[in-house]
Amino acid sequence: MEVRETEFAVAPPVPTPLGRAIVVTSGKGGVGKTTTTANLGAALAARGSRVALVDADVGLRNLDLVLGLEARVKHHLLDVLEEKIALDDALVRDKRSETLFLLAAAQTREKEDVDPEKMRTLVEQLRERFDYVLIDCPAGIEQGFRNAVIGAQEAIIVCTPEVSAVRDADRVVGLLPNTFRPQLIVNRLRPQLVKKGKMLSVEDVNAILRLPLLGVIADEPDIIIATNKGEPPALDPASLVGGSYRTIAAKIAGEDVAVPEPREKPSFFGSLGILFGGRA
Amino acid sequence: MSGRRIVVTSGKGGVGKTTTTANLGAALALRGHRVVLVDADIGLRNLDLVLGVEKRIVFDLVEVVEGRCQLRQALIRDKRLERLSVLPAAQTREKEAVSEEQFAAIVAELAESHDYVLVDCPAGIEHGFRNAVAGALEAIVVTTPEVSAIRDADRVIGKLNERALPVRLIVNRVRPEMVRSGDMMSVEDVVEVLQAELLGIVPDDEEVIDTTNRGEPIVLDPARRLSAIYYKIARRLEGEIVPFTSFEPRFLDKLLTLWKAG
Repeated sequence: MEVRETEFAVAPPVPTPLGRAIVVTSGKGGVGKTTTTANLGAALAARGSRVALVDADVGLRNLDLVLGLEARVKHHLLDVLEEKIALDDALVRDKRSETLFLLAAAQTREKEDVDPEKMRTLVEQLRERFDYVLIDCPAGIEQGFRNAVIGAQEAIIVCTPEVSAVRDADRVVGLLPNTFRPQLIVNRLRPQLVKKGKMLSVEDVNAILRLPLLGVIADEPDIIIATNKGEPPALDPASLVGGSYRTIAAKIAGEDVAVPEPREKPSFFGSLGILFGGRA
Repeated sequence: MSGRRIVVTSGKGGVGKTTTTANLGAALALRGHRVVLVDADIGLRNLDLVLGVEKRIVFDLVEVVEGRCQLRQALIRDKRLERLSVLPAAQTREKEAVSEEQFAAIVAELAESHDYVLVDCPAGIEHGFRNAVAGALEAIVVTTPEVSAIRDADRVIGKLNERALPVRLIVNRVRPEMVRSGDMMSVEDVVEVLQAELLGIVPDDEEVIDTTNRGEPIVLDPARRLSAIYYKIARRLEGEIVPFTSFEPRFLDKLLTLWKAG
C-alpha cells in the first residue's frame, strides 16, 4: 500500500543522516596526508558538500598552512575539547569556499592532552552538521594516531611508492578496526621512474596492501608551490593533480568513476623528441 | 673515551631522517670511525630497510631493554662496512615499551664501544621523540625547504634548546631550479628562520628513491652525486671546515628553465 505524506497530520520527523567521518592516515610521515586532506576537502566542498577538516596533529599542525588559513586561526581543537570555546567559534571558514571549514590543532600543546572520549564526541557533533568530516592524522601510531582514529568510521590510506611507506601503511591498516574499509591513495607516483624500474608501480604497492584503490596522484612540483602558497590545487581547473583530487572526491561521493592512469608532464627530453618528430 | 651521541630528528615525517642517518653513518664508517645506528621508531621501523639488513634481524631494541638478549647480540653488522652496525627497533611493539631512562642507558652503553651513536628519531614529538632524544648529547635537525617542514623543525629546535642540546641543520631535498624561479625557499631563508648552524645542503635526487628501495645507502657508490655531499657532511661533523657545494645552474638546468619559460 502506498502511503502518501499528506496522509499524516504531522509529517514524521526525518532523521538527518550523520555525515561521514574519514581519517586520512599513513603511518609514515611526509607522504602527503595533509595535502590529501586539504585537497579532498576543497574538492568535496566544491561539489556542494559541507565539509569540516580536523587537524589532529596537536603540537605540529600544518593543515592551516596548506589551506592558507594560518592567520585566521584564533582557537583550536583543545580549546573546544576543554570547553573553553564553542565549536562554532573555533571553526575557521575557508577563504574560497563557503562550505569548507577547518578546526585547527593546538600548536603549543601535546597530543597526550587530548581526551580520546571527548574527541569521539566532538567528531560526532561535527557529523551532525557536516556531510564530511576529514581528520588529518599525525605521523606515527602513538597517542596522536589513536586520537585521530577514535571518532572516524572510514579510513583513507595515503602511501608513496617506497618500501618504507608501504611497510608503515601495512602496519597502520592492521591497527584500524575492520569496519573502516580502508581505501588507498598512491601518492607521488613518477610514471617515468616506474617505467625505468626505479620506482614501485601502483600494482607493486597494492600487491602488498591489497586495498581498494581510490586514486593515484602524480608527483608534481606544483604541489610544493601550492602548499607554500596555501592554495589547494584541487580548486585549479588547469591543474593535473587538481583533476586527480576532483576525481577522487567524486569517487568518495559515490560516483562510479574509474581510477585514471596518472599522466606526467612530458620530460624535457621527451618533449624534444616530440619536437623533432621522434617518439617521446 | 666515550663516543658522540647524536639524535637525527625533524618533527615532520618524510623529510629524510632515516636516509640521512644511514648515509651519514656509512660516511663516518668509511672514514674509519666505529659507528652504530639506533632505530628509535618502535612499531614503524625503517632504518633496517634503508640499510638492507631487514632479513638479518634476530633481536631488537625492546628485547635488549627487556633483558631477553645482550646488547651486542642485537647489533647487526653491515656486510659492506665492518665498522657500521645497526640496532633495529621492534616492529610489533609500542614506543611506550621503552622508557626514556632505558633508552638513554642503551645509548650510553653503545657510546662506550663506538665513536658515533646516531639515533634515528621517529616523526612527531611524542614518546618516541622523547626516547630518541633522551640519550643524545647533540642533535641534527633535518628539514626540507617547505613551510610545513620548517614550522615543525622550529618547534623541535625549541624542544632541543630546552634540553640544551647543540643543534645542527641539514636542509634536504633542495631543488636549485625551483629556488631560482622563486618557487622554493632558499637555504639562506631556511637558516634565517631556524637560526641553527648549517651542517649540510642535500639536493633533491630521484636516485635516492631507488637506492633506498634496494637498501643501499647512496654514499657507498662514489659515482653518485649525493655520495660526495654526505661525505662532506661527515667531515663537517668531525669538525673540519668544508665549503658548501655550490648549486650553480648546470647547462641542462639553464636550458630547462628557458624551455619552461618559452
